[in-house]
Amino acid sequence: MVLSVEYIRIAAYLGAAISVGLGAITTGIGSGIIAGEGALGVMKQPKANDQLFRTMLIGQAAAQTAGIFALVISMLLIYGGFDIPEGGWFRAAALLAAGLAMGIGAFGPSLGAGYSGGEACKSVSRMPKHGNAIMGNMLIGQALSQTSAIFALVVSLLLLYSVPVQPANLTVGKILLKSVSFIGAGLAIGLGTIGPGTGIGFVAGKANDMIGRFPNEKSIIMRTMFLGAAVSESTAIYSLVVAFLLIFAV
Amino acid sequence: MAQKKNPILMIILIFFLIEISLVFFSKGFNKEMQLGFDKGKFVFRNIESEYNLQHKITEEFQIDEYYKQSGEEPSIYGSNHLYNFFKKVFGQNSAMGTFQLLRMLLLVDILLLFLAILIKKRLLERPSQPQILFEVTYSALEQFVIETLGKEKVNYTPYIVTLFIFIWISNMIGMVPIPGFIEPTRNLNVPLGLGVFAVAIVHITAIKVKGFWGHLKNYVNPVKNPLFLLDIIGEFSKVVSISFRLFGNILGGAIIILVVSSLVSYVVFPVGLTLFFGVFVGTIQAFVFTMLALTYIGVEITE
Amino acid sequence: MELTLAQGIVKAAALLGAGMCMGMGALGPGVGEGFVAGKACEGIARSPENASLITRTMLVGQAVSESTGIYSLVIALLLIFST
Repeated sequence: MVLSVEYIRIAAYLGAAISVGLGAITTGIGSGIIAGEGALGVMKQPKANDQLFRTMLIGQAAAQTAGIFALVISMLLIYGGFDIPEGGWFRAAALLAAGLAMGIGAFGPSLGAGYSGGEACKSVSRMPKHGNAIMGNMLIGQALSQTSAIFALVVSLLLLYSVPVQPANLTVGKILLKSVSFIGAGLAIGLGTIGPGTGIGFVAGKANDMIGRFPNEKSIIMRTMFLGAAVSESTAIYSLVVAFLLIFAV
Repeated sequence: MAQKKNPILMIILIFFLIEISLVFFSKGFNKEMQLGFDKGKFVFRNIESEYNLQHKITEEFQIDEYYKQSGEEPSIYGSNHLYNFFKKVFGQNSAMGTFQLLRMLLLVDILLLFLAILIKKRLLERPSQPQILFEVTYSALEQFVIETLGKEKVNYTPYIVTLFIFIWISNMIGMVPIPGFIEPTRNLNVPLGLGVFAVAIVHITAIKVKGFWGHLKNYVNPVKNPLFLLDIIGEFSKVVSISFRLFGNILGGAIIILVVSSLVSYVVFPVGLTLFFGVFVGTIQAFVFTMLALTYIGVEITE
Repeated sequence: MELTLAQGIVKAAALLGAGMCMGMGALGPGVGEGFVAGKACEGIARSPENASLITRTMLVGQAVSESTGIYSLVIALLLIFST
């Protein structure tokens, strides 16, 4: 069973559309949360306008990281030179799965980073004096919640570049099995990052809030945040393991 | 500092010189080279007419597979004997990979050893800068150990500090602009070994404190905990999560840097990415690994 | 390995199921553990003298809420390797 070039191209374009289309949903929502809280903060504390504006812009930029990852993947799918006939069903399935992985995988991290940035804006408007400390903590928390997006990006890059060329004279059953396992890997890491991304964002948001209220306990709050975020990430890591197994060991 | 000779800088310089001379004077170095950015590093690199990302990824992450596919004759520092030795010991499928990993691990170990000896030799009343760095790291981690395990268990500090410094330097060494310098933590074997030993130390500590039967009763107690088999699986998942967290983050950074720098060949942007993934992610993951090992011990002790 | 079409479909369904099982199973524990850690941050900020107690409670609570994630990992591994 050999596919012609058009089918592989169809899969690549479909994957590109899925990736950036799904990935943009919560990126927009997250940035909107931050902007809303920033506007509310300016209303409460007009004197801290500059500080709030800076926090809002940097927070939005960091919250859009996962969306930018999705954009990179769809650019690669469109212009990355995947219109070669070799590869067959394997490649078509892997391209579709790469789009799915990054598209769904951008969901959680963007939402989490958005919540974290929103809490930071609220906190800055309450305590403009400690704005810099809150902003630093916000950036670290957002970077922590983007780690699951990085896992999704890794799986989707591996699906793009390390999928073997489909050997000739395979039975239909084997081809089906392998192709479906790629899609399963994409779904595993994509869906698996939603929970941890959101959860770590919640941790970071609470930490921002509390650093604003109790700036003297900054170091111990940050330590708890690191630890809690690291443990919440473990389910994303299980998903990564399952995705690796589905790509390489089946 | 400018007015004094800095010992750390001297050591790093000496290592650079040894490595560069080994690379330059070996036989494998006869391609035309140019200065430029590659993989986010400012390096000498081969001028290649065609740049194939798929081949690059294979070369970077599956080096034995790369040699098998390209038909190139593999050699270590231009000598075939060394490669044949590794092939005999580790098999053809992992000879080059094992060599790269062992070389980087040895480099990290020797670097740490030299640092320790030098700093111990030059202990001063008014400490020099490297001494301050190490003293601050040690006392901060000691404080964490005291807070988590209590005053009488302060003898765990050397293990925790060694773990932190080893992982930190392993994550940092990938940024050194010499071709072939990879992070040892990028290979799954290293984090897995560290994780297995961390969890083993947790259980040895628990047995020491509560006795063998007392510790076993926590797990195999069908009356209190009918799902005790899943608790034992949970112990294995501790190893998996603690080691794959380090591995996944470092490998992910390496893959992203490779792909991005192949998309934008001559731009300085990947340097920033290297700084993010090397300094920021590397430090955070080293800290998280150490703190998790510490708190696992703490949970077992104080229950 | 020779596979007929019917066997291939069964195995492929198992692999897809493994992926979806782990993906969806990671959803709940991730959010739940994040909630635990967030509340622990709040608690430690309000009463820093109980920091080690709160950290221990947080870790144990997270370990318990992670158990559903481990169940899905076990099921996913079973689906991959034993069908």
